[in-house]
Amino acid sequence: MTQLPTKNEQRSWPGKIPLTSLYTVGTGGQIFFHALKTQGKLIGTRCNPCEQVYLPARSFCERCFAELTEQVQVKRTGRLVSYTISYVDHDGARLRRPTALGLVQLEGATTLILHYLLSVDDPTEVKIGCRVETVIKPKAKRIGSILDIEGFRVIGGDRKG
Amino acid sequence: MKSQPESSLVRGTPLDEKALRQGKTFSVTYVPKLQYAWDTGQAIGRYLAELKEGRLIARSCRKCERIMIPPRMFCERCFRPTDDWVYVKDTGKIFTFSLCYVSWDVRRLKQPEIPAVIEVDGASPGMGILHVVKKIPPKKVHIGMAVRAVWKPKPKRTGSVTDIAYWEPIKK
Repeated sequence: MTQLPTKNEQRSWPGKIPLTSLYTVGTGGQIFFHALKTQGKLIGTRCNPCEQVYLPARSFCERCFAELTEQVQVKRTGRLVSYTISYVDHDGARLRRPTALGLVQLEGATTLILHYLLSVDDPTEVKIGCRVETVIKPKAKRIGSILDIEGFRVIGGDRKG
Repeated sequence: MKSQPESSLVRGTPLDEKALRQGKTFSVTYVPKLQYAWDTGQAIGRYLAELKEGRLIARSCRKCERIMIPPRMFCERCFRPTDDWVYVKDTGKIFTFSLCYVSWDVRRLKQPEIPAVIEVDGASPGMGILHVVKKIPPKKVHIGMAVRAVWKPKPKRTGSVTDIAYWEPIKK
């Protein structure tokens, strides 16, 4: 049947699926987020045989599957390993202000962490390898979320000026 | 979070509901935006458009001489396309009903909802639509009871089966 739609015909029936999900952060995540919220500290876990410090803290080693019990405080400073300047949002719409995301290795950790790069006014000033510092929200505003970290601020290295 | 009892055969860390509610167990919530649209097809497309105008429309099959509502473009009995659009009345008879003391989201109801299949006047026997009956004491509902559609005011109609607000008994 190839009859074209006529004026007195409704073509589609819209619907929505209400879904809400909740993920708990896990036993390792619990260590990390508890320390972040209450003390503003960055806590990882160490695997000695593998010479790894995981940040955020994990409950087991991804390489040897051993349970990780040794907690390590990681420094707030580190180096920028990679970054992206995003000019569009999730739906592909152009952003008024581009967002910068940085992949950072903090001193004391062997893993990388992804977060916002803050106050990037000129994207050409961001260089891989530059020093960054973790900016953590004031205690009253921390809720135990990854957004308790505001992001990373470039503090030197290869950055001009 | 509680640590698991050693005797437990189930691995993992059980969640403590209280800790979760108090925000002591950290979590992340996510609400995906899930929207869709079904293509109505020709028959239901016309049916919905007519509902918006306050009319019920059916399709007839000349071979088996049935008048079918909701309308369909294909006769499932004769295996051939249906033939004509036919308006039917917005009155009918209760074909089956249920007194429902639990709402769709499982709340207990003092006054039951009365979902019913209404056999529509003008359509073939047994042809009807599932809808809701109101304005009648639950104990008085019976099969074969004559009912009429109560339409929503025209500006509130959207081209939906709920453009009929409910069906009510026809007083004799």
